[in-house]
Amino acid sequence: MEYTQLTDLRLSEFTLSNLPLLNELRTRTLAEKPRVCIERARYVTDSLKNTRNSGEPIQLRYARAVKGFLARKSPQFFDGNLLAGTTTSKPFGAPVYPELTGLTIWPELETISTRKKNPLIIDSADVNELNFEIFPFWLEENILEATRRRTGNPGNLKLFEKLVFFLAGKAGALSHTVPCYRVALERGVDYLIAEALRREHKIIAQGLLSKADKQQAIFYRSVRIALEGVRDYAANLSRGAAKLALAETDPVRKSNLEAMAEVCAQVPAGPARTFREAVNSLWILQVAIHAENINMAISPGRLDQILYPWYRADLDSGDLTVAEALELVGCLWLKLNDNTNLVPETAEELFGGAGTVPAVTVGGVDGQGEDAVNDLTYVILKVTELLQTRDPSVNARYHPEKNSRDYLARVAEVVATTKCVPAFYNDSAAIRTLVNQGVSSEHARDYAIIGCVELSASGRSYDASSSILLNLVAALELALFNGKRPVTGDLQIGPRTGDLESFTTFGEFLSAFHAQLTWLIGQAVQLNEEFGRTHQEKLPSPLLSALFEGPLESGKDLISGGALYNASGATHIGFADVVDSLSAIEQLVFTDGRFTLPQVVAALKDDFEGNEPLRLWLANKAPKYGTDHPVAVKNSTSLLAFLYETYQGYVNYRGGRYRPAFWTMTNHAGQGKLAGALPNGRKAHVSFASGITPVSQAAPDLTCCMRSVARINPLHIPGGEAFNLKMVPVDTADDLESLTDAVEAYFQAGGLHVQFNIMTYQTLVEAKAHPDRHPHLLVRVSGYSAYFRDLNDAMKDEIIARTAYDSRTGAALPLPAGYRDRLPANEPAEKMIVSGDMLNSALALPLAKFVDCITSEIVEEFLEVLLDLMKMVFFFDDDYRKNIEGFAGRYLFRSVDRSITISAVFAQGKLHVDEEEIPDPHVQVIFKDGKALMNFLLAENPDILGAMLRQEVTPEGNLNYLYKFAYMARHLQRMATGRVS
Amino acid sequence: MTLPLIFDIRHGSMDDGPGIRTTVFFKGCPLSCSWCHNPESQRMEAEIFWDAQSCVGCQACHAVCPGGASAVLPEVTLHREKCTACGACTEECPSNARSLIGKHYPVEELVRILLLDRGFYRATGGVTFSGGEPTLHVEYLSTVLQTLKKENISTALQTCGAFDLENFRRHLLPYLDLVYFDLKLCDTTSHLTYTGFGNELLLANFSALSREMGKRLVPRVPLVPGITATELNLTEIARLLRELGITTYQLLPFNPGGIEKRRLLGQPFSPEIPESFMDRDTERRLRELFRSTVR
Repeated sequence: MEYTQLTDLRLSEFTLSNLPLLNELRTRTLAEKPRVCIERARYVTDSLKNTRNSGEPIQLRYARAVKGFLARKSPQFFDGNLLAGTTTSKPFGAPVYPELTGLTIWPELETISTRKKNPLIIDSADVNELNFEIFPFWLEENILEATRRRTGNPGNLKLFEKLVFFLAGKAGALSHTVPCYRVALERGVDYLIAEALRREHKIIAQGLLSKADKQQAIFYRSVRIALEGVRDYAANLSRGAAKLALAETDPVRKSNLEAMAEVCAQVPAGPARTFREAVNSLWILQVAIHAENINMAISPGRLDQILYPWYRADLDSGDLTVAEALELVGCLWLKLNDNTNLVPETAEELFGGAGTVPAVTVGGVDGQGEDAVNDLTYVILKVTELLQTRDPSVNARYHPEKNSRDYLARVAEVVATTKCVPAFYNDSAAIRTLVNQGVSSEHARDYAIIGCVELSASGRSYDASSSILLNLVAALELALFNGKRPVTGDLQIGPRTGDLESFTTFGEFLSAFHAQLTWLIGQAVQLNEEFGRTHQEKLPSPLLSALFEGPLESGKDLISGGALYNASGATHIGFADVVDSLSAIEQLVFTDGRFTLPQVVAALKDDFEGNEPLRLWLANKAPKYGTDHPVAVKNSTSLLAFLYETYQGYVNYRGGRYRPAFWTMTNHAGQGKLAGALPNGRKAHVSFASGITPVSQAAPDLTCCMRSVARINPLHIPGGEAFNLKMVPVDTADDLESLTDAVEAYFQAGGLHVQFNIMTYQTLVEAKAHPDRHPHLLVRVSGYSAYFRDLNDAMKDEIIARTAYDSRTGAALPLPAGYRDRLPANEPAEKMIVSGDMLNSALALPLAKFVDCITSEIVEEFLEVLLDLMKMVFFFDDDYRKNIEGFAGRYLFRSVDRSITISAVFAQGKLHVDEEEIPDPHVQVIFKDGKALMNFLLAENPDILGAMLRQEVTPEGNLNYLYKFAYMARHLQRMATGRVS
Repeated sequence: MTLPLIFDIRHGSMDDGPGIRTTVFFKGCPLSCSWCHNPESQRMEAEIFWDAQSCVGCQACHAVCPGGASAVLPEVTLHREKCTACGACTEECPSNARSLIGKHYPVEELVRILLLDRGFYRATGGVTFSGGEPTLHVEYLSTVLQTLKKENISTALQTCGAFDLENFRRHLLPYLDLVYFDLKLCDTTSHLTYTGFGNELLLANFSALSREMGKRLVPRVPLVPGITATELNLTEIARLLRELGITTYQLLPFNPGGIEKRRLLGQPFSPEIPESFMDRDTERRLRELFRSTVR
């Protein structure tokens, strides 16, 4: 069958000026400021509160919460978009998921609107509702604290909370996944409801039910209830559009509203009959999934395949023009940009600037292995080229034998225009890799990308692809420091694997490294299993289960293993830096004997201070991943093989295997900031290389770099990899040919993934210096796109310092001044800004003391003063007292040297303070001194992570209680400094 | 067979011919153009790049130098008159402030390296031989070319044209898909002044090859401000091309990279050589002049 009928694959006749609707919507979208939307948190919490004592199983309670939210969710029509439905009640909204990490913004509720980095506007009424109504319900109930309670706060949880060894994704997300929308589009949600009902009745009709039967019946009922919510939401949209249409005077808007009313009356409840209905149905389903799944990496999948039947039929019948198709797809793209994540300030350091990464996949082969590129593929590419928005993350599959060179060249051209998207994937490598994981050939060929770069048998495999983010550098440092890491000081973290003097061969050192790595992976996997069990107990996914292949057939929720395939993904940070460090140790210490290991490690401890020649040896003269050096090749391939074998040995709580991956989002910058100097000559606190990418400047030229990465066995990277390349310029037709050639050759050589930033050092340096001049400069981070302006400085520096290859000579261009030694940019320390207005005469003394405390350096008595003031304000201020009405919280504050011990017990609307220990505090805060504690609680841009890592402040126990306390303390601070009355 | 010195092998080049190419740079050139942007290519012998700015003062060079050429007092320096370019210091220099220019590659080793990127050559790319002057090493080059042809690799040569035509025809031409032939100055005296070599042989070779090779011969004219990039010189070269019926040519924008490299070689550079790239308007005007004259 011939899918490509377009004569001009570029669709050159279309521009934003002859697609005025898209132009207008795009301008609005880019100008929109993000706002916190509490609608979901409100209705989900409300429903769960109401059913708390219903005696119903959690599956049904949760399904009711999902339905309750969807049915009450306000129908909103903000602009002239052709598609009905919005992720939140704001034009650009950040929904709140209190069951996951929502409570981490508690301390910042009153400052998040004005914080420097990526502020989120929040209404003060919403602040109060979160603070007084919503968050208190979740104090003991979110995933992290429920897991802590159930497991007794085990070592692996404490290790996770140090944040520098591994991150456990399940505390903050259900699943990064690709749902199956096809059935719901073709047959409608009503069909799925009827199907669930039929299956439920079939079980009940059996009469005597086993426990498993009952479970199945409950599952089907939960699916039905959740799906009813989707139907209700669409009905509300339909009614809302009809009502607005009546009042609308502008004829274009009026007819659009009427059309939306009609569309939503049909879909997603019924089958989509037109392309427009299909696109809108898919969008409503995408919105609905976010009722139960956090807005991170829920990826629509292969849209050029899923939507193609409607596109073709409408185009052939004359009901649709290419221009209209571009408009509808463009509207979907802008809708996918209507939401963002709620990220606390500290986490901006690690994840800052990310979108919500709904990945769209195009091209490649179909289930039978034949060329699947079609006209809609080119429509999608055109929309991507025209709009250049952060989301969706667009991924182009390419099969070297089946897809045409014209298609690949067109994708390359879009990359040249947008400077960074789409990313390229090699079908033959990806399919082989999934088949090796037990996926059938047909399903593997239908793979799509999740979020950043993760490979998924789309709609069939529940991959939980970001379950673990493991820091490989942590394992290396543990091996170098006999189970300790510089960043966590004297704590014995890992097993003792030997003093440096005890290693006489590289093999012995490598064994120590492997032992640390195995131990660390074990910790991360065990914790992920615990989180998985908590999810099974508390967070079923009836809605997502309905939109997936497997759960309806097996009668099991996705979280209980209902999908056809199951996996857990573990991605890795610092791969290239670790490989180069191992190679430097092997070559310069054990093979050449130029240095001893103790010499090298002594230099690391001093960050090479006074030993620049040693650093240069390590940096310049050791084998590098990214070249053909046999030692580097051996160490890179064997580390990948080791990780693969280790992870594949674990079976997860859903019966699937763990899949290693190599994408890093912005974690390589964040974790880099927290790591000491490394044996590859990298200085302390400098960003690591991203994803699977070689360290900057390691590969002397473009093809050498690509060749090295292509050499990797893709079977060992079933979770996916991010390979970032920077190349300039791509201006001429010849440049474009070369770019296409390079990608084709890289794939022929076995490469799995590659993505480009087509930009010079100068462009990026200039954009960092003048963010306002480049508000929407789109860059590829490590598997997703971001507006450069939104990234934190460490991440900006890392992107600037990625080697740019000259597309004409192929040579690595030297880094710009200031980046040559890969020094991080100096970040001026943020100072607290405090002024000193008085508030209330009765409070004058404690207030004066408090202001004195927070404005001077004399902060030894900070805690006493703070608690004194709190007590007083609770007494005088009705509004402030609402913070502790019905709240029971037991806090123990203790200085490291035990010279200060203070307990604070909130009960019956009062605060009781004592200088004694109390049993069973909800949270215990151990602090170095008053200043450290004050900075931790009150600093305008608090370095919470740093404070915890330097062990200046160590919380133990339920962190939600600490968040709440921090909120109250910061509110006092704002009162004291006259920013609230 | 004596092995020539090769001073660079560049992978992934897209500037040295069609597609993605690997370019081999031979050391040694009969010409000595004052503007040469690869001055390390001119001498036949190995040399040392010495970049005092990158030196961290570890004195490792001094410790290993067998001829006393690496001095450390009062500061680290290289006495070139004593240096035999043995390369010992470059091995020991951690900051790569010293690097050895010129290395021998046995034919098999060179071919292995040239085949590393064969996947990237695709339909149009391949290997380009540059320099220096590759035709100074006919036997070696011929052997390498023949091996590449057996592997079906596309080949190109960049030459100043100073070769024996018969030798060239017999040993190299059959294995070359493309020849880039430099045309620098039409005036014989100027050519001798600026390149140290007359242009009679070069022009004769060019004319002869143009008849035999057709479009496979591509003349290249470096645009050196004030020297080759004069209206008079460019008009003369363009006229020559018109007479020979040649319409495909390349004008190479001036690259001041040679100035920095002469510093690394410890050589003075001609004050006539500009230190910056040619401005775009001038370049556009000259290109237009050339184009209109050729047609």
